Amino acid sequence: MSASALSPTVTRLRDEFERVRPALLGAPAVRAAAMARFTELGFPGAREEAWKYTSLRRLESRKFAPTVAPQDTTALPAALAAHRIVLTNGLAATDLPASLAGFSVRSLESPVETHTDHLLRPIGGLGTERFTALNAALSTSPLLLTMDAQTQSEDVLEISLHTSGSGPTLANPRITVRMGAHSRGRLLIDHTDDGQEHFANAVLDVELATGAELTVYRLQRQGDKSFHIERVEARVADGARFVLRDSQMGSSLARLDLHVTLDGRASSTELTGVFLADGSRHLDTHVLVEHRAVETTSLQDYRGIAANKGRGVFNGKSIVHEGAQKSNARQVNRNLLLTPGAEIDTKPDLEIYADDVQCSHGATTGQLDPNALFYLRSRGLDESEARSALTRAFAGAVLSKVDAPELAQHVHDEMDRRLVRLLEVTA
Amino acid sequence: MLSIRDLHAQIGARKILKGLNLEVRPGEVHAIMGPNGSGKSTLASVLAGRAGYEVTQGTATFLGHDLLALEPEERARKGVFLAFQYPVEIPGVNNAYLLKAALNAVRKEHGLPELDAFEFLQLIRDKMKLMQMDESFLNRGVNEGFSGGEKKRNEILQMAVLEPKLALLDETDSGLDIDALRVVANGVNSLRSPERAIVLVTHYQRLLDYIEPDYVHVLSDGRILRTGDRTLALELEKRGYDWVRQEASAA
Repeated sequence: MSASALSPTVTRLRDEFERVRPALLGAPAVRAAAMARFTELGFPGAREEAWKYTSLRRLESRKFAPTVAPQDTTALPAALAAHRIVLTNGLAATDLPASLAGFSVRSLESPVETHTDHLLRPIGGLGTERFTALNAALSTSPLLLTMDAQTQSEDVLEISLHTSGSGPTLANPRITVRMGAHSRGRLLIDHTDDGQEHFANAVLDVELATGAELTVYRLQRQGDKSFHIERVEARVADGARFVLRDSQMGSSLARLDLHVTLDGRASSTELTGVFLADGSRHLDTHVLVEHRAVETTSLQDYRGIAANKGRGVFNGKSIVHEGAQKSNARQVNRNLLLTPGAEIDTKPDLEIYADDVQCSHGATTGQLDPNALFYLRSRGLDESEARSALTRAFAGAVLSKVDAPELAQHVHDEMDRRLVRLLEVTA
Repeated sequence: MLSIRDLHAQIGARKILKGLNLEVRPGEVHAIMGPNGSGKSTLASVLAGRAGYEVTQGTATFLGHDLLALEPEERARKGVFLAFQYPVEIPGVNNAYLLKAALNAVRKEHGLPELDAFEFLQLIRDKMKLMQMDESFLNRGVNEGFSGGEKKRNEILQMAVLEPKLALLDETDSGLDIDALRVVANGVNSLRSPERAIVLVTHYQRLLDYIEPDYVHVLSDGRILRTGDRTLALELEKRGYDWVRQEASAA
């Protein structure tokens, strides 16, 4: 592709890459290759299937710039867990501890050149490949979390990913997690920003060795102006288990690509989440689970709520590959439209290339049950309270799976605050 | 307390109530009986404010309020309670939350302070004992996974907690075995008082063996055809409804 055919935004980001390049630590060749890949792919066009319901024109029109300078860290969100690491604009805000909550913690800034290849490995495929490549090129403090074999920790390690800046900032936080055999750990990824218009382009790359288990609580609560694109990758070996408890309620436009590969025999994954598209928020979630071994099990259970001009997109896909016999793939997506102008586009999708498997999928989109509403009102609850109770119950069915009590309370409170605001507007 | 005059109501184009009159005074227990499709449940629904019913004529006055002009929650707070024929299952909204929110809504209406968790629990314990319900019910979803009998007991529990002025029981006896019927009847009877009126909508006389009504009305084709004391219910049980209709059309 000749340079003259590139969109102005791609050209500008390439120039920005050249500008900050001297300050980026490690893996120069990998970064250059990643930038070339981003340049080649560019922004998605209107006809690209993976971006059918989500236009990035608004994102493309903004002049976001990456930053390598340390940021002001005085206005960080309060910690939600006892152990926390903060990355501001992808950059470690403090000296990193060597270990926390059972994890060994390293970044490219510590002398771990041998890790640079897997730290910056661009992940191919999916609609977000271009952004994963952009992240690899520009990521400032790629974080490597490893848990030794047999180590088991019930503590939650919080990774706070905060975006802030005086101008429109492009942040590229990247977290790589390697779980040793039969290790068990818990992570909280909390996405926040300073309320200004920024672009957080995040990557979480997870590998679980035999028998390992990782639970990730994800909270996307960026401000109403920001853009958020994220890729979560997990490869799961024999008997290992990857669990995601997701809640998305922030950003003006957000896209999450969640890709889990069940590589090992009897590996499993459980992906549950809630998204709340209120105001004029646009939240797009693409889930792809691949069963590549026998006796693998997956559950996707996502619930979406949209109100006012909010729009939700959910694309859940399971592929059971040839030979992945005795696998079990379940998908549920339930959606709630609180007001007439809201929209949720859902597409459950199942591809099966093995004959001895159990698969199911279902998607529904509806409104609050009028019988339940009347029942509550006939007991004296006013309409907005009745609607709020039913909406919270709808989300609660999935949120109740957040099994870290303090965190669960926070997620519920955050959701409640938004529902109260939303139901006041719609009442 | 409740005065219904010439009430006409329809669902879509289908006319169901066709000039119903009913006068209920404090302390009275009324039974409204009638064949399927006569309008019994429609009457209960219209009085509680369920959507989908259009009142085309007539009035319903409750303690001086134009009942039909009030929202369902306003009716509830002023003291109208409907025990549903089919109580709704609401997973994720727990019984304790609903009871507390409902009770505090009524208390607020009467200028009383909200009950705190401790006071609420004290109050609820006695009522649950009366309805032979285990405390574990409180933390379950509203009617979620309840048996038919448990749902009906839960309705009466709510009623016992809210202490309404006017209780409308819509086919509360349907689907109950004899033991559950006794518990439910016992709960209702415990709420009989000179200040409270109870209207039982029922298909069968069986319930009236346990809750003795002061008046029995026969509702047919959207109108009350005959009113009597509890012996009328026994006569209906023996002779069916046809003779009432025949006598009414002859008159």
